[in-house]
Amino acid sequence: MARRKKGILRKVLWGGLIAFGIALAVGTGFFIHLDRQVTKQFEGRRWTLPAQVFAAPLEIYAGLQLSGPQLEEELGRLQYRQVDRLERPGTYRRQGSRYEIALRAARFGDETRPAQILTVTTSGGAITSLGDSRGNEVPIMRFEPMLIGSIFPTHGEDRIVLKPEDVPPLLPAALKAVEDRKFDTHHGVDPVAIMRAVWANIRAGGIAQGGSTLTQQLVRSYFLTTDQTLSRKLREAAMAIALELHFTKADLMNAYVNEIYLGQDGQRAVHGFGLASQFYFGKPLAELDLSEVALLVAVVRGPSYYDPRRHPQRVRARRDLVLKVLAEQGVIKKEEAEAAAKRPLGVLKRSSGGYYPAYLDFVRRTLRRDYRDEDLTEAGLRIYTSLDPRAQDTAEKALEQELTRLDKIHAAAVKKKTGRPDNKAPLQAAVVVTAPQSGEVIALIGGRETGYNGFDRALDAKRPMGSLVKPFVYLTALETKRYTAATIIQDEEITVKLKNGTVWKPQNFTREFYGPVPVARALAESLNAATVGLGLDVGLPNVTKTLQRFGLQQKPLEVPAMTLGAVDVSPLEVGQIYSSLASGGFHTPLRAVRSVISEDGKALKAFPLEVHEVADADAVYQLNRMLELVMERGTGRGARSMLPPSLVVAGKSGTSSELRDSWFAGFSGSHVAVVWVGYDDNRETGFTGSSGALMVWARLMAGLDTTSRSAPMPDSLAEVPIELTSGLRVAPGCAAENAVTVAVPLGAEPPWKPGCGQDPSFVERAGEWLRDMIR
Amino acid sequence: MAARHDPLSAAPGYHARMKTFRVLLLAAAAVSLAACQSLYGPPVSGSPKPSTPQSGTPQPSPPIPEPEQPVPEPVPPPPPPPQKEFRLSAASAALVKQGRAQSLKGEYPAAIATLERAVRIEPDNPLVWLELGQTHLSARNAPQAESMGRKAVALATGNTSVQANAWRLVGDALRARGRDLDATEAYQRAALASPR
Repeated sequence: MARRKKGILRKVLWGGLIAFGIALAVGTGFFIHLDRQVTKQFEGRRWTLPAQVFAAPLEIYAGLQLSGPQLEEELGRLQYRQVDRLERPGTYRRQGSRYEIALRAARFGDETRPAQILTVTTSGGAITSLGDSRGNEVPIMRFEPMLIGSIFPTHGEDRIVLKPEDVPPLLPAALKAVEDRKFDTHHGVDPVAIMRAVWANIRAGGIAQGGSTLTQQLVRSYFLTTDQTLSRKLREAAMAIALELHFTKADLMNAYVNEIYLGQDGQRAVHGFGLASQFYFGKPLAELDLSEVALLVAVVRGPSYYDPRRHPQRVRARRDLVLKVLAEQGVIKKEEAEAAAKRPLGVLKRSSGGYYPAYLDFVRRTLRRDYRDEDLTEAGLRIYTSLDPRAQDTAEKALEQELTRLDKIHAAAVKKKTGRPDNKAPLQAAVVVTAPQSGEVIALIGGRETGYNGFDRALDAKRPMGSLVKPFVYLTALETKRYTAATIIQDEEITVKLKNGTVWKPQNFTREFYGPVPVARALAESLNAATVGLGLDVGLPNVTKTLQRFGLQQKPLEVPAMTLGAVDVSPLEVGQIYSSLASGGFHTPLRAVRSVISEDGKALKAFPLEVHEVADADAVYQLNRMLELVMERGTGRGARSMLPPSLVVAGKSGTSSELRDSWFAGFSGSHVAVVWVGYDDNRETGFTGSSGALMVWARLMAGLDTTSRSAPMPDSLAEVPIELTSGLRVAPGCAAENAVTVAVPLGAEPPWKPGCGQDPSFVERAGEWLRDMIR
Repeated sequence: MAARHDPLSAAPGYHARMKTFRVLLLAAAAVSLAACQSLYGPPVSGSPKPSTPQSGTPQPSPPIPEPEQPVPEPVPPPPPPPQKEFRLSAASAALVKQGRAQSLKGEYPAAIATLERAVRIEPDNPLVWLELGQTHLSARNAPQAESMGRKAVALATGNTSVQANAWRLVGDALRARGRDLDATEAYQRAALASPR
């Protein structure tokens, strides 16, 4: 029995020994394997760096129309702080109308600029002078470009990588004090800390000292998934020890600062303190004050549970705890902690990036032509765009305000008609704003929820353009030199036999025909029958060619109805062809990207401004003058009440059949704006271009600080007043109510209206006499 | 669809001749009819639309000389038409200077980026477009130089010497493209705009 017992014991002992030996061998092997894996991955580590996308920098110079309050608004957009004494970059001081600004160092598409002091003097709503710190005059200076987003990969990780010298020393000190007090001495794991964590978890309410060291947290984030199993914990501990064997504490701390997950923005995961600082505060990490750094350290523990935007109370409590711990640990003074605890959270309402989805979409599509996805999401490119944040804000506000109003009108109309409330989806819209001479898209809205990354209507909604096509029909006519603005055309019933044998009879919107009308009136009042006749006379292929010359990429179907806008286009395409009109017949391909710079500052690609003369400048001038009449007398006159009285603008409304699409496209001297309003399911809106989109357009233009049209009239043209009803020339003051000014080629002035002319003026008679003499 | 009046009825070259005569006539009429000047007001020049004040581009004054100004008895030569003035703003001037320096060093993309900043500040100033076009020509992008020259011609309406410079740029660009015949025509237009 005893013998047997002894034998069993021996067997167990041997078995245990063998098992231990195997376990040791496997464990060692496993550790060596992990060690290799960790070292290899970590040594060759290069965070994938999503391309960063920047807005256009604000250029400031003497003479710029920018008031003191507007200047402060711009500084606020870049998170400059007003202070009594200038300390560090990112602050400014105001004395009356004089500003001292400590500009941050900045990288632009074409150069870098060190941090420096700039003084700005304003007066009467404009900047009057700029100077440097020594009082020398500065002709022009740029603010740094605002980061508007990044092009992150599908797994959604986005970050801004910081070098150790970009990290304020307070941050590592605070991380150690709160997360891992033994960081400087332990070998990757801290058994005491684990015990303490267990104890702290038992004691409710205490600030839980994490069981994991910073190294373990780094391993978890860098190498592992987040499932909570024992084997994962063991792997994590082993890998942490391996990392510590090969890398310095400073290396590991810097990796931690750049790696750790700190928040979520839709699909985009915010990693690292560099991006988190921008995401929550809109400024560089180096500029954060104590309370802000403490907030970020508080978030580390659980970016979703401690989301400063969703749970401000909870975050505040934890931030103040962090401050208390920092004071206890001697990282900061007690008074500092108390003062910092009094500060508000200071988190931006919305992140400074990722809220220009339509614009970023356009940028991405532009770059996809030249870059692979990985280049954009991993290579740390810097992309400089022409987005004007001020114009974008103006457009967003104008759109929301008017659409809310239009929704109410529509709801009331539906209720009246059906007796039931309208509970379908609200109106949708898209807006494109460009600077026509440089061909830059400065604002883009792809849908009503401008912050939502959904269907981009500005680029992808293809809708019939309606009467927006008419200017190109009229331009084609003017270019034949057989027509002027005063030429009489017939607005009458017209029967067009189509290729398929059917007969088409275009109607006017009012269901009336107006008979003989001058060209200028037919366009101003958007008469359909007259336009179809004109289009057929000049030839549909010629109208098509005009549209294509002005930048329409597709070839529209050449059917008679195209003269009334049976051409499906996106708002961006309309922006393109109207920009070419606004710049006098010079086509400039629209662009959003100015340049692309590599991570190390090399210029990789520029998208320089291109111009192509595509139309007869005289004809374009005559047409644009008629488009000004649309605003004075025609379908655009509803904008007048919203615009400054002296502002000269030109434009055209567009409405598709059964009021499904409400369009307006128009331009001032410095801006082209296109607005589309309609429903995604293509149902009737009840709005024409004039009653819908025009209202958004007018409010937008009124808010833009735009300039009057002031294109010089070509020498070969003359401006003559005519009667809009008859097309006859009138003397100033005669037929005042119906008199409008048109531009016509010299020598092609229309005949005088009897009894309303310069009648029989000496000069005119002398002119005729002389004219006969020369012949 | 018949036009009530036909602009093509005038013979080629007629417009230009008429324009010269118009100026002559107005000058003569201004003197001889000083008393009834209010009758015809400003029928030829002056658009009714208000225009924005732009730095350095004062509005052209009407081409009618002041009544008290003595006019030599035989009407020709006519007084030169008033010239619209184009000047670079201080900001554009600084950028043009920087762009030229970059061009001289052969840094054309940088020079172009700099000058495009000036275009954004003064998009209607032909001097900026001239400068940008010149830089494209130096960078051997003659097609863009030509287009920008043409753009400058259009914007320089009202200033014959700037227009002449723009035509010269167009000519240079055409010559660089090997289109000598078209270049000659552009130079002729330059000479016509501003005889030297």
